Amino acid sequence: MNLLARFRSWSKWISKRQRLESEMEAEVRFHIESYAADLIRKGLSQEEATRRARIEFGGIETHKDEMRASVGVRWWGELGSDIRYGARLLRKNPSFTAVAVLSLALGVGANTAIFSIVNAVLLRPLPYRESGRLVRIFFNEPGLGLRDVTFSKPELDDLSDRAGVFEDVSVIAGGSVNLTGAKQPERLEFVLTGFSYFPMLGATPQIGRLYGPQDFAPGFSPAIVISDALWHHEFGADPNVLGRTIQFDSDPCTIIGVLPPGFRHPGPTVSGEVQVWSAAGLSAEPFPKPIRGNRGLNAGTIGRLKPGLTLAQAQARLTAMAAQLRHDFPSDYPTEAQWTIEIQPLQETLVGNVRPMLLVLMGAVILIVFIVSLNIANLLLARASGRQQEMAVRSALGASSRRMVRQMLTESMLLSAIGGVAGVITGAVTLSFVLRFVPSNIPRLSEVRIDWVVLGFALLISILTGVLFGLAPALHLAKVALSSAIREGGRGSGYSTRTGRLRDVLIVSELAFAVVLMVGAGLLLRTLRDLLQENPGFNPTQVVAANTWLPIPDDPKEDPYHGVAPKATFDRELLRRMNAIPGVQLAAITSDLPTTNHILNDPSGTDALAIEDRPVESSQDLRAERIRVSPDYFKVMQSPLLRGRSFAEGDEDGKPPVAIIDETTARKYWPTRDPLGRRVRFGQDPTKPWMTVVGIVKDIKSDGLDIDGVPHIYVSIYQTPNRGLSVVLRTSLPAAVLDPQIRHEIQSIDPGLPVFNVASMNDVLDRSLASRRFSANLVGGFAGLALLLASIGIYGLLAYMVSQRSREIGIRVALGASRANVVKLFLQKGVVLATVGVVAGVVLSASTASMMASLLYGVRPHDPSVFLAVPLLLFVVAVLASYLPARRATKVDPLVALHEA
Amino acid sequence: MDKQIDLLQGTLDMLILKAVSLGPLHGYGVLLRIQQISGDRLEIQQGSLYPALYRLEHQGWIASEWGESDNKRKAKFYSLTGAGRRQLQSETEKWNRMSLLIASILRTTPGQI
Repeated sequence: MNLLARFRSWSKWISKRQRLESEMEAEVRFHIESYAADLIRKGLSQEEATRRARIEFGGIETHKDEMRASVGVRWWGELGSDIRYGARLLRKNPSFTAVAVLSLALGVGANTAIFSIVNAVLLRPLPYRESGRLVRIFFNEPGLGLRDVTFSKPELDDLSDRAGVFEDVSVIAGGSVNLTGAKQPERLEFVLTGFSYFPMLGATPQIGRLYGPQDFAPGFSPAIVISDALWHHEFGADPNVLGRTIQFDSDPCTIIGVLPPGFRHPGPTVSGEVQVWSAAGLSAEPFPKPIRGNRGLNAGTIGRLKPGLTLAQAQARLTAMAAQLRHDFPSDYPTEAQWTIEIQPLQETLVGNVRPMLLVLMGAVILIVFIVSLNIANLLLARASGRQQEMAVRSALGASSRRMVRQMLTESMLLSAIGGVAGVITGAVTLSFVLRFVPSNIPRLSEVRIDWVVLGFALLISILTGVLFGLAPALHLAKVALSSAIREGGRGSGYSTRTGRLRDVLIVSELAFAVVLMVGAGLLLRTLRDLLQENPGFNPTQVVAANTWLPIPDDPKEDPYHGVAPKATFDRELLRRMNAIPGVQLAAITSDLPTTNHILNDPSGTDALAIEDRPVESSQDLRAERIRVSPDYFKVMQSPLLRGRSFAEGDEDGKPPVAIIDETTARKYWPTRDPLGRRVRFGQDPTKPWMTVVGIVKDIKSDGLDIDGVPHIYVSIYQTPNRGLSVVLRTSLPAAVLDPQIRHEIQSIDPGLPVFNVASMNDVLDRSLASRRFSANLVGGFAGLALLLASIGIYGLLAYMVSQRSREIGIRVALGASRANVVKLFLQKGVVLATVGVVAGVVLSASTASMMASLLYGVRPHDPSVFLAVPLLLFVVAVLASYLPARRATKVDPLVALHEA
Repeated sequence: MDKQIDLLQGTLDMLILKAVSLGPLHGYGVLLRIQQISGDRLEIQQGSLYPALYRLEHQGWIASEWGESDNKRKAKFYSLTGAGRRQLQSETEKWNRMSLLIASILRTTPGQI
């Protein structure tokens, strides 16, 4: 077997077809003429010789065809004619072609768009040097149920010096800073890193340079790097920005470089993309003293594993090191906390939480394309029955059944190719549209694009659908063609059982898949509806919120807000001015605006808590989220005070500390006793004063509408102040009207303060549901499409049956069948199909719904109302879709029908 | 017609290889040479010669080139390639073994069993 030679000859035939065809012709002619010449020499006449030569040579075209076959290019010619024939058929049935191509374009387009998101977010490796070795490092205290806790400088040093598994380690402490000295004071997203951060990620600057180990400083380094977006937005892309000094949180910093547009910080962010990068040695002011037990560093560390080390090996060594440290420093690591170190692939950390949602969307679009191709298979099958005679004639003339299957497949592949191209175009066009609605909390959205992988996927989907909807009719036809078609002739034999059964199966599966999609959509939409109706624990209507931030300069002497008193003074002045704005009924301050996620304040979400008169051992796992509020907060939010009193102006520094707890805290920590008058304190420092519980409020959904059961303890902002502040105003004015006034009043106190995210509380709540709304609406839309396709399918099937059996109906009517009898005849079929399909779909949904559990809230995966409503809806629609053709059957005129036959 | 023998299945390829191994030939020439060597005792379906030639060329055992025939006309000449020579040799050996075997079977007398 000489493969190379074969390939060479084959490719020669493909590329130089024309020339080789004429050579073949010349060769044959030469043979016949030479033979004729020899015959003449033997004494035959010219005419007789030519005749004999031709006869003895045999059928010229047959031999030429065999010659083509012997070099393996005959199918090539056949393919060409099959395609031409298929194209002619498509042109002849414009309505069928339009329906098929349109639904394919929708199906493939949806797949292309969603897959390009899945590909960019979940599949493509992170855009860093050898990103497979990058890991996120967590410090955990599983004994207290805590993950990603804060850490100390010596613990960080252990990772790089002692663990021996990392090439590099860098903190990534997310946060935000005030930019002053620009047009408007602004709140910018920033990340504090180690000095090896950029070399570790393999980043290169767009202009200037990036900091590295040579820039080391024990405290903050003054050298900062900015993002391409900030460079354009704030500095007009001016290359002279390098070396410029700007004020970040009142500290002078020098811009040394600008990152390229494609660079993204590989970590969690407060709200958007990181705009400013700075590094610190973490061992001098303003950082906590580098003592092991002094865990004052914000959580967030990444590392690059040494080459050749697997994740499991590295994890094993880190676990062993943590055990050794617990043993060596028992006073720093209480046994019950079980302090340990965990690593996770960075990619997983970044995209793990959006994976379920994206996979559900991907599943939905795959179901859609499934339904689409079942629908087309059905249409093709209906057409195929009309082509039985054509196929019978073909096979009678000697076409093999393999050859006929190939022809049918070529036709459907042609259809799927057209649909695929239309689908990719649809996908590309709709992608930018879809991206506008994708919630911004999905990471890596900027990397979404249609690349070769996406095109390959679209091709795969198109081919699979082509095979799926082409194979059934093709195989079926080849079988049927041989047996009966010629005998049956054109005399509309009615709904033959063979085609019938296949079509029934197709319809039933279509209905079943539609049920699965609709159940998924039903569950997501119910979740969304429940969340929208969820009582957040306050009245969001007519409340406007705005945010500001008091800067933290590195040098405490530069800080006008150092200590409790200046902050309390600021808060009081802020409230006085807010209350003075016309149209504002009442103003209050909180450190944590409900449903906005402040990862900055409490990385672990909650603070350790101590309760008086409880044994120390059991107090270890007490935790609650601490929220600082001004006295009128609960009044502004219209959140009912259940017992006791609210905070008063007098609850300030120097007075006895007080606290207000919510119902969850009361239930959790004082299940049997009255919490009022009890004393609690945050942290484990025994010298800190106790706070007395003075009131109980209803639960406020502070961490998100879909998060329950977190205990909250409110403290007076005058006693425990905060840098990050949200102002809430009860007013009938819209946020847009108040925005400039709020800004003006805050900057009248301190012109360096930024004012950001001014919005109505309803919008804030709404935004917190963006991701759920997106997936629910998208899956809902797909479910609607599935319902439409399934009803078209069942309608088409019955309409076809009616037309095929018009003769039979004519006879029945002529023999005295009533209209009701005729309707029943077809309606029965529709009802049976719908029932089987719906039941199959419910069974299928029941087994797959639990995969969606993580996306649901307040709804169980097997929610009975959804599992009742969806099948009912589909059943009604299916029966309706079959009633229309059934009614048409009664319009059959027996005379006409019998004549036609 | 009894002096003519129908070709055994699969032997045409071998005969073509043998014919062109003696020197380049055009299609008609291959036919003539086989008939000549066989003393006109072999009947070859003229048309079926060409699919075989194309198949052999496709497999790389013979190569073709346009040249001039005895009567000064353009014709396509086939010649044996290196691979074809090896193929012919192995086919020949196989054929000889086979014919010896069959001949010995046919020579068998009742006493030999």
